[in-house]
Amino acid sequence: MKAPLGTFVFARSGDKGGDANVGLWVRADEPKREARVAWLLDFITSDRVRALVPEGADLEIEVHPLPNLGGVNVVLHGLLGAGVAASTRFDPQAKGLGEWVRSRLVEIPEDLL
Amino acid sequence: MSDRIRIGNCSGFYGDRLSAMHEMLSGGPLDVLTGDYLAELTMLILGRDQMRDPNLGYAKTFVRQVEESLALALEQGVRIVANAGGLNPAGLAARLAEVARGLGLDPTIAYVEGDNLADRAAELGWDGALTANAYLGGFEIAQALDECADIVVTGRVTDASLVVGPAIWWHGWSRSAYSEIAGAIVAGHVIECGTQATGGNFSGFLGLARDAAPLGFPIAEIAADGSSVITKHRGTAGAVTVDTVTSQLLYEIQGTTYLNPDANLDLTSIRLRQDGEDRVAIGPVAGGAPPERLKVCVNTLGGFRNQMEFVLVGLDIEEKAAWVRAQLEAALDPRPEVVEWSLGGMPTPDADTEEAASALLRCVVQDPCADTVGRAFSSAAVALALGSYPGFTMTTTPGPASAYGIYRAEYVDRSAVHPAVVMVR
Repeated sequence: MKAPLGTFVFARSGDKGGDANVGLWVRADEPKREARVAWLLDFITSDRVRALVPEGADLEIEVHPLPNLGGVNVVLHGLLGAGVAASTRFDPQAKGLGEWVRSRLVEIPEDLL
Repeated sequence: MSDRIRIGNCSGFYGDRLSAMHEMLSGGPLDVLTGDYLAELTMLILGRDQMRDPNLGYAKTFVRQVEESLALALEQGVRIVANAGGLNPAGLAARLAEVARGLGLDPTIAYVEGDNLADRAAELGWDGALTANAYLGGFEIAQALDECADIVVTGRVTDASLVVGPAIWWHGWSRSAYSEIAGAIVAGHVIECGTQATGGNFSGFLGLARDAAPLGFPIAEIAADGSSVITKHRGTAGAVTVDTVTSQLLYEIQGTTYLNPDANLDLTSIRLRQDGEDRVAIGPVAGGAPPERLKVCVNTLGGFRNQMEFVLVGLDIEEKAAWVRAQLEAALDPRPEVVEWSLGGMPTPDADTEEAASALLRCVVQDPCADTVGRAFSSAAVALALGSYPGFTMTTTPGPASAYGIYRAEYVDRSAVHPAVVMVR
């Protein structure tokens, strides 16, 4: 069923030069963690990130799985243009990008909710 | 010496809570207190300071913190290690010596130099560099502590090096103790951003008390094998949980290997475990030999920018936006290199407050020439006030253009960089 990604996924985001960087992981203090982590690692692909963050449609996007930490690190190359100070983006340091992604509605298997 | 070194952090950026140094010293036992003051662009801000006054170029707030806390640090035997030296660690060390004399104190002060490559930027092929600083490792910090420095200030070292250095000193690690050093890099990466490890900027904030008490700053207790426990002083607000630590670990990394000048860290080898209230244990990790070349933080002047924001209220928002946009663009002569518009959110229909009935239209301009995006731009926006869409109002007053910098990473052979420790008395 459709639910916000942030229902059981936490995030933190920021900048590295002109690249935005998002960590997404399954919160640790709840049941079903293992199954949720398996789902998240499968769910977050470059194309899925492009769908969740349409402004990244034409960007190179890397997804690095870190199952030991229950999540992934996502790098969106060039989202911030030439870098923080040069960016004309509404949130030039991508500080809120992770919370935005958490608020997106995605299809989550009912038994994980 | 005990088997674990207790390293605190009291600053995650230049502008972080001023009282944190004193809070960390008075809140419980520590061996070393560290502080990170340098983001990529902070170097540019410090560069501008130094252009005005060659004696500056360091984080001035650190001087105030030391002035307030030096007596307490010396009394407790807590060493202070910070990258507050920025572009001028020698100048900061001299200023700290002056401050200490004024307080009637006599600390041993050391600084680390050799990161600043700005004078050689042209020869190294970095055109237009206003600042160029190699990211140094922790061995010089360890050497300074070994030579009994009470305060060690550096320029550009990696954020984790502020923790790696003290751990090397305490445990006597050799340069090839890659896995132990990698363990300290993990701990350093977790605490370098201050309260981001203890519940700040944290998706799980609903689980925190969320009262007015400021969040406590983090502490890493690092063992001889590089494993650590992340914690904070008792009685401080916030929390240290597997999630608050994961939040910091998954942030600002770019891949599964984390490169540092003293070792590479395999991020896939990190294991976290809750080890009591506000204590998270990080197991031993796998490390490897560091990269051949050092990363360099290069800042160039990008150009000038300006911004105006219009408020659009009520009906026909898109038409209102289109008209004012056409009017302002026609008034810009010459046209700035970059003119970008964004309309944030549509108002709620039949809203019961004016704010909820409003949308914000933002125009950002950039140009190599300050005048093109200065008052010529912002006054042109204001000049439309009585001659544009109904209900015209703005959230900004017209201002001059501001300069912006561009950060980029470069790389340099280790043999071209000569880090050194200087003791000041």
